[in-house]
Amino acid sequence: MKQELTNLWKDWRLHTIVLAIVLLTETIGTHSFTVGPGVVLLLPMLYAIIIGLGLFFTPLIKEKQSKNAEPLIVLGVTLLIAKIGVIIGPSLPQIIEAGPALLLQEFGNLGTIFIALPVAIMLGLKRESIGMTHSVAREPNVGLIMDKYGFNSPEGRGVMAIYIFGTVFGAVFMGLISGFLATLTPLNPLSFAMASGIGSGSMMAAASGSLVAAFPQMENDILAFAGASNLLSLSTGLYMSIFIGLPLTEKLYDIMTRRKSTSSRVEKGA
Amino acid sequence: MLKNIQEWLLMLAIFGVTALLGNWIGYDVIVWEAVPGMLVLIGICLVGLILGKVLPGSIPSVAYVALVGVLVSMPWIPGSSFIVETTSEVNLLALTTPILAYAGIAIGRSWADFVKLGWRSIVVAMCVMLGTYIGSALIAEVILRFQGII
Repeated sequence: MKQELTNLWKDWRLHTIVLAIVLLTETIGTHSFTVGPGVVLLLPMLYAIIIGLGLFFTPLIKEKQSKNAEPLIVLGVTLLIAKIGVIIGPSLPQIIEAGPALLLQEFGNLGTIFIALPVAIMLGLKRESIGMTHSVAREPNVGLIMDKYGFNSPEGRGVMAIYIFGTVFGAVFMGLISGFLATLTPLNPLSFAMASGIGSGSMMAAASGSLVAAFPQMENDILAFAGASNLLSLSTGLYMSIFIGLPLTEKLYDIMTRRKSTSSRVEKGA
Repeated sequence: MLKNIQEWLLMLAIFGVTALLGNWIGYDVIVWEAVPGMLVLIGICLVGLILGKVLPGSIPSVAYVALVGVLVSMPWIPGSSFIVETTSEVNLLALTTPILAYAGIAIGRSWADFVKLGWRSIVVAMCVMLGTYIGSALIAEVILRFQGII
């Protein structure tokens, strides 16, 4: 263990490459373009994740650097959480005032079931769709599905698929859609700020970062609400899945597939 | 324990240097003006990480880090204005860029799994994220309007 950790900070190749990526991407800076009435923001962090991924396939990055990068992400997120903590502190009165919205919007995470489950069934996916759409598939949800259905079940494969997508492209995707939706729809940026806290540090950072870049004058409120919501999601996400998300998905899946099979039987009969 | 603290400190320092340089280039904050803020943030992290290690129970360290951060910056705590002023020099986006650079390098190893996913999974995954984001935003909007906050 000691050996491992000592090598970690001595991995100068990794840290130098990251420093180079940061200097390059921050020099490029933020760019934006409009799609219809919405704005798509290209932030340095989005280039950074894509350049990092690209470098993985060059000889510059070896398996070792890729492994060593993981604990650095954890510590980086810790630093980010500390920063969010000191933003929340001074805004505590506003956060308490917005408490009801903050608590109730956690139920919005069930929106994934209503939007994604019909799509999954329409695309012909079977019980995989239950694992896929019962939640945003972060670590606690993956654990829950594995525990309940097993690793080699269709539900398990489903939740892993979404988990992998979220790991690889979650931050990029959230960063792109959050700025876009906030400029496209009439909803208040603060509502989107609360929605940014979906229980993943990097996705929250990307989503709220885009909001800040789009609405710089609301920076502190956006970050305070996003941070508070993320902490809430982290602590309630699993229970939300156990008691509401998963049973609801199972029920809706039964209803939707039954209707589908009856209607196809009727068609055949007619 | 002492070894742990030393490792955390070293890695936070490496991360901090990278973030401060990004903070300078991307957000025009001269490095030495943001150094006190970064030191405060690293201090908060260390206290939180140590609490997570020392205190019983399975509460993750990040929860303690957040708690410490909130506590020391609450308006009714003496010295909080120093904490808030110094840390405001460290831009949030300057912290996220190095995190995602490390993340990009780390997720390369998941790439093989990713290409196996198939287009249907990718469509569903996007709907999952869109669903939770829009669902939460709609509820938040309704409640915030009802309360007259926005």
